[in-house]
Amino acid sequence: MNQTQSLGTGQPSLLELSMPRYGMVIDLKRCYGCYACVMACKVKNHTPPGVFWSRILKGEAGTYPNVVRQALPVLCMQCDEPSCLEVCPTGATMKLDNGIVIVDKDKCMGCKYCMMACPYGARYSVDKWESYFPDGLPLSPYEEFAKRAWEEKSGVGVATKCDFCRDRIAEGRDPACVEACPAKARTFGDLDDPDSEVSILIKKYRGEVLNPEFGNKPKVYYLAPR
Amino acid sequence: MNPNVNGQLQRDWGWWIAVYLFLGGIGAGAYTIAAVNWYLGDTVSASTAVGLWIGFPALLIGSIFLLVDLGTPTRAVLAGMKPSTSWIARGFWIISVFMVLALLHLILYAFGSVGQTAGGRVILNLVAAAGIVCAVATMAYTGILLGASKGIPFWRTGAVPVVFVISALVTGHFTIMLIALFYPGVTAEAIQVMSLEAAALVVLEVLAILFFLQAAFKTPDPRESALRILRRRSFVIGYLILGLAVPFVAMLIVYRSTGMTQLDGRVVIVAAGALLGLAGGLILRQSILVCGALPTLNIAGFEFRRIARPKDPKPGIGQLPPR
Repeated sequence: MNQTQSLGTGQPSLLELSMPRYGMVIDLKRCYGCYACVMACKVKNHTPPGVFWSRILKGEAGTYPNVVRQALPVLCMQCDEPSCLEVCPTGATMKLDNGIVIVDKDKCMGCKYCMMACPYGARYSVDKWESYFPDGLPLSPYEEFAKRAWEEKSGVGVATKCDFCRDRIAEGRDPACVEACPAKARTFGDLDDPDSEVSILIKKYRGEVLNPEFGNKPKVYYLAPR
Repeated sequence: MNPNVNGQLQRDWGWWIAVYLFLGGIGAGAYTIAAVNWYLGDTVSASTAVGLWIGFPALLIGSIFLLVDLGTPTRAVLAGMKPSTSWIARGFWIISVFMVLALLHLILYAFGSVGQTAGGRVILNLVAAAGIVCAVATMAYTGILLGASKGIPFWRTGAVPVVFVISALVTGHFTIMLIALFYPGVTAEAIQVMSLEAAALVVLEVLAILFFLQAAFKTPDPRESALRILRRRSFVIGYLILGLAVPFVAMLIVYRSTGMTQLDGRVVIVAAGALLGLAGGLILRQSILVCGALPTLNIAGFEFRRIARPKDPKPGIGQLPPR
């Protein structure tokens, strides 16, 4: 299989099948909710309106007057035990050996059951590709490119999700959200390598996952904000 | 908005899926009642005949609604690929087998003389037994499908399949009653027996709904959904009052009445009660679907409730974006 052809089209490449177990660490002390990761994801993946593979949630803790606000960047947690994979009736959702969960757009029938099964709300589906600009305007060259790229990689009428920018990983680069973060709040790497930065951060600062009670064993870890 | 009710609701399953679950429930419920009647000696023949006629078409039409909701309906044939883990795949097989059995039973019952011989009766009994198993599985499946969704805590309870099974029997029974009114040879006594059965099933459904909502109020995320569902006028007025209470009273009135003939005013009461009960069954499913809220995410003492996804209407040419 040609690696460059296969990447981003839903089919795992031979290179990916021999890769390590990827994960991400997000330092909440550093994140100030600037949405750079959200925009980087949109620019890189050409996601249409309403689709946010990378999102920022705002939360609060404490009681008045001692209240703190906190930004929480969320994306697909690339779970070790993904409930989306479990419920997928067609086998379109797959977990690669490198731990990345992907959707084969050519197998997905768009039942949206995976969207109901994901407790992190990381999956999206659109019925048609939409422009960000008012209806009636012709598509700009960038939009035409974006539409083509979206339909090639993700498609309409099927489930879509973050795949840790696996085409960038194959080129030896970090995912777009990691590269774009101005606060360097995100770190990406191999969770199986004890000497990797992500492993060290998780061990040193006791990284934790969101809602471990879901039992999905996410591979996105967070360093506590306080 | 009440600060206790601000979680993000799922927006991806709506009316199409509600109708699919509703018609699937009607088909399986009506067939179960008909087949059980058959086993009990066919005491209410209108109920048996009408119920067998409802099962297959209701499931067929319901499946069309599911197909329409699919993003890529042409791949629906792949739906049964992973029955080992996926409830949609299991449902695909359960409903497929059930549809075949329901159709076979109908053909043997309506068009053949199979039931008139001892051997034929054995065959019909076997088909009916297998059909009842598949019908119960179909009724339960419509609830388990939701119950297996980890992303919606409101649905993730054993009470949902119980509610759906009972509601399927209720709506199946109401459909049988409604059509039986026009069935040649149906007697007033048969309608009265059916009314009593319907009233009893409605009482069971009320108990199941109370159990379901009471369970939902025990934990925060399902509580948000339960609060939302109880604030919906369609649920309270359309389902609880018009879909349960009114049909219950209507069925009791018909049961208690004497000297009923097929064309008197009480037939209208039966028809109205059954229609309202059916509408209630649809509203119940749609309400449970649209009130499903995603779980609150939390870490280190912070709670992150997911407010509705931004999907503002786009401005027209030359217009400012909506504020």
